[in-house]
Amino acid sequence: MAGGRRLLAFGLVLSIAFVMVGVLGFSNSVETLDQVAEHLGATESPVWSPPIPDYEIHGFEGNATANIAIGIVFTVVVLVSTYAVGKSLRSFKSRA
Amino acid sequence: MHIPDGFLDLSICSVMYVATAIFWIFAFRKASRVLNEKQIPLMATLTAMFFAAQMMNYPIIGGTTAHLLGGPILAMTLGPYAGLISMTIILLIQALLFGDGGITTFGANVWNMGVIGVFVPYIVYLLATRMSRSRSGLLLGAFAGALIGDVLAAVFAGLELGLSTLSFPYGVSIAVTAMATHHLIIGIGEGIVTAIIISMLQRTRQDLLQLPKLSPSWLGGT
Repeated sequence: MAGGRRLLAFGLVLSIAFVMVGVLGFSNSVETLDQVAEHLGATESPVWSPPIPDYEIHGFEGNATANIAIGIVFTVVVLVSTYAVGKSLRSFKSRA
Repeated sequence: MHIPDGFLDLSICSVMYVATAIFWIFAFRKASRVLNEKQIPLMATLTAMFFAAQMMNYPIIGGTTAHLLGGPILAMTLGPYAGLISMTIILLIQALLFGDGGITTFGANVWNMGVIGVFVPYIVYLLATRMSRSRSGLLLGAFAGALIGDVLAAVFAGLELGLSTLSFPYGVSIAVTAMATHHLIIGIGEGIVTAIIISMLQRTRQDLLQLPKLSPSWLGGT
């Protein structure tokens, strides 16, 4: 169990480093698909308005601190969500 | 490779949801039977790490950028079903909260990155390690698996786009060629990073590579 906690802590630290490097140095995203679509004239038709479009809070676009905060908060959300999904699946096993 | 809403015909979206759902059923059923206490923190850690790693976009050819997918490492350490569950969580959060990938195209995106991008690397890695027990065999399998998985995921994305004649009227050959060409470069990057991480794990935490794998029984799963 202690090993598991150490692993979670290590992963979290590494993830935060990824977020910081990503926001400060490698945040400019021009995906192949976007470029191909733009070249061919295809357009998006969103069916859902995401609360944080393009990983930026409305009014704080281009603000590195806000973007790092979003990255860290949602990395923790992913960590906790996956842990919770894993635990729930394991509890199915215990009940079976 | 995140396909947004509007790029795929609804018929293609439906087919991809059904195809992916079949894998979801098997993955969640297997995970509910096999997932153990040691795998859960590793799965959570790797999922969070690859969510964060997907924010790092490095420049490639033609003014475009690329980022790691992470599916190959998830598959090689935890098994392809665990990789599929992890990628589903990442893609769901990206689509719902950030608009990175569509809702109607969610099934297709999970199919490309969570099924093809996870199962293909795992199968190639498994074959390579069965053919050669040496360290070079392991690393070659990790590299080739990630590369082939990435390119095939892009080919599937191209096929889905090319077959969506109402939304993306440019044909299969244009869409597949464009996606596969760029993803050959991206796949090499993913392959190198995958081989480096697998190599590091083999030297420092071999136990993590020897965990039981959440995979179908025909792929040696428990």
